[in-house]
Amino acid sequence: MSEAATAPAALTSDDAAPRRTGPNALAWLILPIALLFALFFVLPISLMLLMSVLTGNPMFEQGVRFTPENYIRFASDSYNWEVLWITIRIGLSTTLAALLLGYPLAHLMARVHSRTGHALLLIAVLAPMLTGIVVRTFAWMAILSDTGVVNATLMRFGLIDRPLPLLNSETGIVIGLTHIYIPYMVLTLNGVISRIDERLEQAATNLGAHPLRAFWEVTLPLSVPGILAGSLLVFALSISAYVTPLLMGGFQFMTLPLLIYQQISASFNIGFAAALGIILLVISLALVIGYNRVLGLLSGDRDLT
Amino acid sequence: MSASIHIERASKVYDGAVRAVDRIDMDIREGEFFALLGPSGCGKTTTLRMIAGFEQPTEGTIRVSGKDVTGVPAHKRDMGMVFQNYALFPHRTVRENVGFGLRMRGIDKATVARKVDRALEMVSLSAMGERRPAQLSGGQQQRVALARAIVIEPRVLLCDEPLGALDKKLRQQMQFELKELQKTLGVTTVFVTHDQEEAMAMSDRIAIMNGGRVEQIGTPSEIYNRPKTRFAADFIGDTNLLSGKVVERDGGKVLVVAEDGFEIPGADHHPGGVVHAALRPEKIVLHPDESDAPCIVRGRIDSANFLGDSILYRIALPKGRHVLARAANTAHSRMLPPGAMTRLDWQPSDLVFLAD
Repeated sequence: MSEAATAPAALTSDDAAPRRTGPNALAWLILPIALLFALFFVLPISLMLLMSVLTGNPMFEQGVRFTPENYIRFASDSYNWEVLWITIRIGLSTTLAALLLGYPLAHLMARVHSRTGHALLLIAVLAPMLTGIVVRTFAWMAILSDTGVVNATLMRFGLIDRPLPLLNSETGIVIGLTHIYIPYMVLTLNGVISRIDERLEQAATNLGAHPLRAFWEVTLPLSVPGILAGSLLVFALSISAYVTPLLMGGFQFMTLPLLIYQQISASFNIGFAAALGIILLVISLALVIGYNRVLGLLSGDRDLT
Repeated sequence: MSASIHIERASKVYDGAVRAVDRIDMDIREGEFFALLGPSGCGKTTTLRMIAGFEQPTEGTIRVSGKDVTGVPAHKRDMGMVFQNYALFPHRTVRENVGFGLRMRGIDKATVARKVDRALEMVSLSAMGERRPAQLSGGQQQRVALARAIVIEPRVLLCDEPLGALDKKLRQQMQFELKELQKTLGVTTVFVTHDQEEAMAMSDRIAIMNGGRVEQIGTPSEIYNRPKTRFAADFIGDTNLLSGKVVERDGGKVLVVAEDGFEIPGADHHPGGVVHAALRPEKIVLHPDESDAPCIVRGRIDSANFLGDSILYRIALPKGRHVLARAANTAHSRMLPPGAMTRLDWQPSDLVFLAD
């Protein structure tokens, strides 16, 4: 109201420059978070980017100059590509596992009518998040080790002769990561699925579709935005995970975050570590952009007018 | 291939306690336009959903053309349903929406295309085939939902307050169109509504429901002119509910209205005891004078509402009870001013005695 009232006055006044009315007083409330973001996100990332293209640390060394050396080193060594591939492979496996296990749960949560039922499911999803990652990883180590619950049980019943390599393997890493990141998948999916009108499924069955067919034709396509968002989240989190790949992989599987840590703490090669960090960031960023493009295409196709 | 529906002592109990539907019986005839009418929570939608197969009756049976379908899942019932908010598939075009049921039946593409064309033509939406539901107006979405339900040539068409979201003008137009279409197709139609005018205008027969039970089933005129229960009389149109005792007077029986003590003749066929009766406002004839001419009761005009086609009077009787009287707005009628005294008269046969 006040803006509308002052606008004509500003136009007719002799003042050449129209008076600027600030956007909204409430907008100033984002200032603290903006500062925090600048200090703890923009600054470190800028420094990391800078470090990755310098020959050394200008704070302590003389004659530091720009160089693509760190990136060339990454690209020229097949070991680095192997690490990158393992990282992405673990990310993809974890995402797929979280999606396959999480979707039915999210669907159930969205369709449960009783409040108690919904609350119990929500607690079941959230409760693991209240425990630290290290604790949960150690729990998995106890369950999956050669003498752990799973292997001991299977051997007792004579189903296997030798313990399955569950721990210290990629399978172990994926199991651990799936457990840790599945809540993100479930909550994201649940948000999308619960907004899909149940009557759409009923309309489909009424028109002669078997309930499974109705799910395939109606619910699944409508939950694609949730599938994409949840997958993006889980993938980005699991390729940057550190503790779980370290402990569950038995120090044998080198992923990008582990390599970065090794370069900093063991090799003191901060420039190369920074380059690796930037590569990890670029992968995540590319995924976010790709996600937005796909979603844009989908919704553009749907004409959400 | 229309069907008849027989519901026998069907109940739906939720959580072991709430009887949403309480032992109802209904016979819906082949090709009939049948309305389930009642206030919200009366069980009409649950009844419809039981016919559709979305809910299983806790007890009782539902038969379609003589065959028990009680345990048959929804996707095998071959019924077309129009949902309250249409439930159109937002990610599919109008054509895909309408063709969905045919595709589920494994019908070849060419036939699907032909039938979809014809259905869209029926609801005058031929030009909108490639649009998405979100690009259509409410009335158009309603038509798509209807086309989607009838294109499969269902045995029964089920409608759950299909016109509820439309504005009044459009609703009236759709009422005519839907009725017309239903007649052309001859499909048995079960229509849920809380709007009594809509039910009266469209239906062959109406079931009035209240508290999970059926109060009365009959044609619109039967229900309006001869309501059986107080609820039915009160729910449909305006009505004056009178209760009192039937007593002997000069060889005949009269109804003595409890609060006011005035006597209404013509209760001959009715036994003694406390009875309830309904009197429609338009059956009351008003004589605007204070003469001593005979009449049933006298009263004073309390307020007069001009409704266009008629005038609705609220009249205070001597002991303070109010009755409604409706006078047609004719060329030589004049409005009685509030405060005027008037004589009230009606034909004894217009008084309808109710079961309870």
